Amino acid sequence: MPPRSIGEEFTKGLWHENPIFRQLLGMCPTLAVTNAVINGIAMGLATTFVLIFSSIVVSSIKKLIPNQVRIASYIVVIATFVTMADRFLAAFFPLISKDLGPYVPLIVVNCIILGRQEAFSSKNSVGRSFIDALGMSAGFILALLILSSIREILGAGTFLGHQVLGSWFEPWVIMILPPGAFITLGILIALTFVIEHKIKQRR
Amino acid sequence: MSLSSRMVIVLTSVGLISGALLSTVGILTKERIALNKQLEIENAIITVVQGTHTSEKLYEEKDLVVYGSKDENNQLIGFAVYASGTGFQDKIILMYGTNPSFTKIYRLTILEQKETPGLGAKITDKDAFLQFWENKDSSKPLTLRKPAARSPEELSPFEVNTITGATISSESVLNTVRLSLEKLMSLKKEGKLGNEE
Amino acid sequence: MMPNNLFILQSSPHFKDKDSVPKIMYAVIISLMPAVLASLYFFRFKALFLYLACVITALITEALFLLLRKKSLDSLSDGSAIITGLLLAMTLPPSLPVEHAVIGAVMAIAIGKQVFGGLGQNIFNPALVGRAFLQTAFPVAMTTWIPPITQKINTATFATPLGNLKFQDAVAQGTLSPLKDLFFGNIGGCLGETSALALLVGACYLFYKRAIDWRIPVGIICSLMVFTGMFWLINPNKYASPLFHVLAGGLIIGAFFMATDMVTSPVTPLGTTIYALGIGVLVGTIRLFGGFPEGVMYSILLMNTAVPLLNQFTRPRILGERRKK
Repeated sequence: MPPRSIGEEFTKGLWHENPIFRQLLGMCPTLAVTNAVINGIAMGLATTFVLIFSSIVVSSIKKLIPNQVRIASYIVVIATFVTMADRFLAAFFPLISKDLGPYVPLIVVNCIILGRQEAFSSKNSVGRSFIDALGMSAGFILALLILSSIREILGAGTFLGHQVLGSWFEPWVIMILPPGAFITLGILIALTFVIEHKIKQRR
Repeated sequence: MSLSSRMVIVLTSVGLISGALLSTVGILTKERIALNKQLEIENAIITVVQGTHTSEKLYEEKDLVVYGSKDENNQLIGFAVYASGTGFQDKIILMYGTNPSFTKIYRLTILEQKETPGLGAKITDKDAFLQFWENKDSSKPLTLRKPAARSPEELSPFEVNTITGATISSESVLNTVRLSLEKLMSLKKEGKLGNEE
Repeated sequence: MMPNNLFILQSSPHFKDKDSVPKIMYAVIISLMPAVLASLYFFRFKALFLYLACVITALITEALFLLLRKKSLDSLSDGSAIITGLLLAMTLPPSLPVEHAVIGAVMAIAIGKQVFGGLGQNIFNPALVGRAFLQTAFPVAMTTWIPPITQKINTATFATPLGNLKFQDAVAQGTLSPLKDLFFGNIGGCLGETSALALLVGACYLFYKRAIDWRIPVGIICSLMVFTGMFWLINPNKYASPLFHVLAGGLIIGAFFMATDMVTSPVTPLGTTIYALGIGVLVGTIRLFGGFPEGVMYSILLMNTAVPLLNQFTRPRILGERRKK
């Protein structure tokens, strides 16, 4: 396979290797916190912060780490950044921190992050790892944004807390509950597979 | 250098560096986080015992904290009670204000809950639930009004309202309040709530 | 030329029953008619609109999905979508807004049936999937009841017998609905579940047509009666009688018309028995100890999930196969 251009390194995270829709990684935060757009964005940004800094650190110390203890080292690095993000949210955005609850500390075990370290940062340069992390985060945020928009609009009739559907609309409570997350995510994944299939057929 | 010593050195140094980083962040944010928590509690106290100027923690145990509220003249005007109980889905944490003799409940507010949105979660809603808890007479045990009344005037002073379709959530709020009140009475008898007149 | 009538090479099945999918489906539709008529009598136009909305939406959704999946529209006429629509409407409260019923019918066909691959592939009873969706999406509208027209009360809302039992302590207060009202349908409740008599008339027709397995309704009713009977014998002042539990709520319609769905019930006699007993015990457990007054829908859906497992574990020994030790 020829080496990807920098642009491709970024855009692959948005579509072809989108962590949610194509790799089906990080399902736990995806399903749990997308009941409101603001929570989706906050979770996306927290994960972005952790992913970018872990990727930079891991790719820059990759030669120092013996193969046998690499996972342990990655987890320590990731956990450090997660705890920093958690404390930061609790200090400056207490309301969001309360809404996200245990899901911020749980970023530690988000497979997107460990997966990127293992599959990419441990084998590539710092620059490429940074671009890769940026692309993956963008894909993650994009997915959370789509999912949480659908759920908040149908489940509460609002978008970012603003009423968007008129008073005639009776909110579908199910959409902000767990079953709504599963149904919406399932339909979205099916849609991306249909689109991908169509793209391949056209080639 | 042997492999095992390299492993030890790498893991130790990674651990040390991240430990150092985290303790820095911890120290930097500690005060602010504590402040946020305190602000939240203070706001709740002012909501449930109106006219509170200063408040102090008088008693604390698992699931029950009692704050004494004083006005500008340093007169005890009531207690703010922080209590939690089991709801339909998860814990409901609430706070209510009483007068100094526990015979009157001023107001109730819900601090944390995970009830069903649109149903049980209405316990945080003023119009649907909280207004029916204002100025209740707690000299007798409170009872739940079923089926729900439309306006606070329909209720007797000893009654609180149900949310239609969420009886269990309404009941658990009432039970939490009832249980904590009983506990408070016995605490007061034991003289554990300070030396109020 | 070889004479071609000596050997006929053909894979099984060699004997075909004269029953077909549409035949069975239309038998079920006919058997539902007494209950449909009873609900039209008790709830008038509200019932009519809900039936029309559910059936028409179910048919349209089915057609759309068949087009999307590039299948022939012929299977639209097999009656299965009509049954899903009818059964869904029968499990809805009469006061439910029509647009909610439409959403439920779309979900029943789309998520309950077509995403699995259409008739015969679905794991769950589609009508109950639609109802479960509505129950969670519109919890207030789905638990608001109006009295039947035959009850001359002028109130906006009305409790079901099971709601009374759960939330008003009806046994101790002596306000439990009389069994006679439960049997004829003079009570509040979902469209199709109020009149036990009408449902049983329809069920007799199904037995006559041999379209359902007798083990399922009998198993469900027996296990529920034993389960609730135990508690009733221990404390009749707190628990309702087993006969009340059988006649109240959606048990009759669930046991005869929903749990018996051929696609989502086990194929072996032993598996079917376990399935039926499981539903009865779950209904009893939810009604006596759960947060909801009624549990037929969740019990059937839960046991639906166990069907593939039951089929596998109760598979009969193939002739000549050794017994496992």
